[in-house]
Amino acid sequence: MLFTELIMAIMKAVDRQRTLTSPFHLIKGKKSGQTIQDIGYFNLYPYFGVLPKLDKKAYDQAVQRLFMEGYLLENEQVIELTPKALDAEVAPSPLNGWKYRGNEIIFFQRLSLIVQTLSNTSQGIKIFDPIVNKEEVQAWVKMYLKRIGFRDLTVVQTFKEQLLATLTNTEISEIHKMILMERLSGHELSGLTWQQIADSKELAILDAQLMFVEALHGWMAAIEHAKPSLLIGLMEGIIQQSSLTETAKRTEKLFERGFSLEQIASLRQLKTSTIEDHFVELAMNDPYFNFTPFVDPQLYEAIIAESRQRKTKRLRDIKEHLPQASYFQIRLALAIREEQG
Amino acid sequence: MNLEKLLYSAYGFSSFRPGQREIIEQVLAGKDVIALLPTGMGKSICYQLPAKILPNSVLIISPLLSLMQDQVAQLKKMGEKSVVAINSFLKPEDKEKVWSNLGSYKFIFVSPEMLVQPYVKQKLQQIRISLLVADEAHCISQWGFDFRPDYLRISEILPALNFPQVLALTATATDKVTEEIREYLSLKEPYIYRHPMDRENIVYDIKKFDDQRDKLEFLKGFICKFSGPGIIYAGTRKKSQELSSLLAEQGVSSAFYHGGMEHQDRVFVQQQFQNGELQWICSTNAFGMGVHIPNIRHVIHFQLPTSIEGYVQEVGRAGRDGQPALATLLYAQGDEALLESLVMDDLPTQHEIEAVYRNGTAATHLIDQGIVRETAFRVASYWITKLPLEGVNKQMELLRRGKWEQAAKIRELLSLESCLRSYIISCFDQQLADKPSNCCINDGINYEVFAEFLPPAEKQQPLDWQDRLRVILPI
Repeated sequence: MLFTELIMAIMKAVDRQRTLTSPFHLIKGKKSGQTIQDIGYFNLYPYFGVLPKLDKKAYDQAVQRLFMEGYLLENEQVIELTPKALDAEVAPSPLNGWKYRGNEIIFFQRLSLIVQTLSNTSQGIKIFDPIVNKEEVQAWVKMYLKRIGFRDLTVVQTFKEQLLATLTNTEISEIHKMILMERLSGHELSGLTWQQIADSKELAILDAQLMFVEALHGWMAAIEHAKPSLLIGLMEGIIQQSSLTETAKRTEKLFERGFSLEQIASLRQLKTSTIEDHFVELAMNDPYFNFTPFVDPQLYEAIIAESRQRKTKRLRDIKEHLPQASYFQIRLALAIREEQG
Repeated sequence: MNLEKLLYSAYGFSSFRPGQREIIEQVLAGKDVIALLPTGMGKSICYQLPAKILPNSVLIISPLLSLMQDQVAQLKKMGEKSVVAINSFLKPEDKEKVWSNLGSYKFIFVSPEMLVQPYVKQKLQQIRISLLVADEAHCISQWGFDFRPDYLRISEILPALNFPQVLALTATATDKVTEEIREYLSLKEPYIYRHPMDRENIVYDIKKFDDQRDKLEFLKGFICKFSGPGIIYAGTRKKSQELSSLLAEQGVSSAFYHGGMEHQDRVFVQQQFQNGELQWICSTNAFGMGVHIPNIRHVIHFQLPTSIEGYVQEVGRAGRDGQPALATLLYAQGDEALLESLVMDDLPTQHEIEAVYRNGTAATHLIDQGIVRETAFRVASYWITKLPLEGVNKQMELLRRGKWEQAAKIRELLSLESCLRSYIISCFDQQLADKPSNCCINDGINYEVFAEFLPPAEKQQPLDWQDRLRVILPI
């Protein structure tokens, strides 16, 4: 998947309902209420936070290209795709951003340091400059290597075979796999910079970086599936047990202890709107979320009916016809509808 | 105690390099020491070895975060485990362990801004310190090319620590700077070791051109004629990228390196250069610190350096193996204009000083909003805590004049018709003892010796991913 294809995939889902910058926040993995709930509304889980370092300028340039190539129409408020864009297929992708939450980078840092160590030690080199200098990664790798008995050459052999087998079985292109390998270093063979990788494949840097994340997500899924004895160890702590953000979890705990929304806001010294965001997130993630403390069941039904009838998830459109509902209530109802409806 | 034996058993070196023994002996005799050792002469050993003998902790104050990280990494690489770095990267979960065991670490690295924090200061007061090392001590000098106001704060901690024994290390200092170091660190009668600044295997060349195009053409021809490893210093990030593409077009392996790249990419470029996978690095002045490559044959300055001290430090990365190395300074008419803007770049303008003054020294949002530049902010906020507004402005005027003088020395170097080496050495208040036969452009250069170095054998990049994996893990 190329970077512009990623933007298109998101735009197709939120067409006419969100602004031009909303895909940017989603790709960067912004943890705001709006972004988190959009993932649920529009089923955009795969694309969340896949390029956390994305630069706004680079994004804007890509959007400009989409205008020039006739995929987007000028619209001051929302994304408006052309028929050409709507007819285009969404490129298939192994991306799974919501699941891995950027932790694929930790996985890869562990792998880089392990591979570099095995490359050196198996060739009789005892001293080398570590490719990863993050202390927590170094400490983790040290323990891991000790545990697997890395000085035993048959262990190295097995590690390599598992790497080869799982990556062979991952359904991604050969270019994807090459990019992964080119970001690894060994004795006398160094990793390549993004510029070098992009140049050699005639890709843009952002495309190469996105393909790297795709390759990682695809491969990590294959490892989780096959559970090879050595490689599976690298997944330790990589997959978040709860899909909630930490801050929403804290709000949930307080709510379970009987505090009201306003009380939680003042206890945590946060704005009520922030706590509202947390409840929307909780509603999205819990199929049995009890909304009645916040929305009267009749109003809830009315919001859902309005959204269905007008085929919209734009808050303002619904609010216009149901002025008695607050924006929070509309957001909550829409979040629940995704899961329970 | 046999120092050679200790050197071998502790760090695996069989003999001292010039100067190391003298410095270490004075340190062990309990003297304060100021040591001037050129880049690449093994400054770190001067406190690493005494640490093996001294009873308590060695406190190393290091002005640059990247340099500190490199020193810690090098120590660990040598098998030293009792090392801790106290800087803004110290993680909250590690803090407790570090603070409660602080005195048990042999090597404690601290950044100047952490040093003066009340809590850190208090913790340091509670432990026994055998030796305080001021690394890159020239940063203390406001006349130096690399002035860091924060570094002056060392003088604030000395009384609190009861004036411990001090070792000040630097690779570059004039008499004036040495005197400033002595004064700021309150050293009464320090032993001063001055290593001859001259590196006799480095040959100094200057090439002048009418315009930028000729300069580029010369560089193209140069890299086809001579092989690396070499560093080409460009003035800006953009220029470093352009030059790297230019080299690639000539079929010469190269990569660019600058502070705008992500960390992992910078590590890769260093590693490629170290492994001989690249002949040339086109870089801003960000490249070089913590690079330990002995066989660099060329350092080319595509843009004028801003001071003789900076120039000598960059050039000094070449030829650490003792083999001939060539320093080539390229100049095209008009380059001095860029030099002047670069020279003034770090200093805060009056406008910036006033902005910091009005908003207070905690107002880092001024940087984010682009109202005050980062280094300018650093300099301005330091002086604002020390002087009234009027005084800060005067101080900046002094600094500006100092920088002009440094730039003037570069201009003088360019216009020189006599020996470049003698001139450079004289800038450090030293005199040339022995003039090598291959000396500088004004005394005639024998380029043959450089043409004899052959390019390293091109390594084939693996063609598919399985192949690449096999090369990395050839088991």
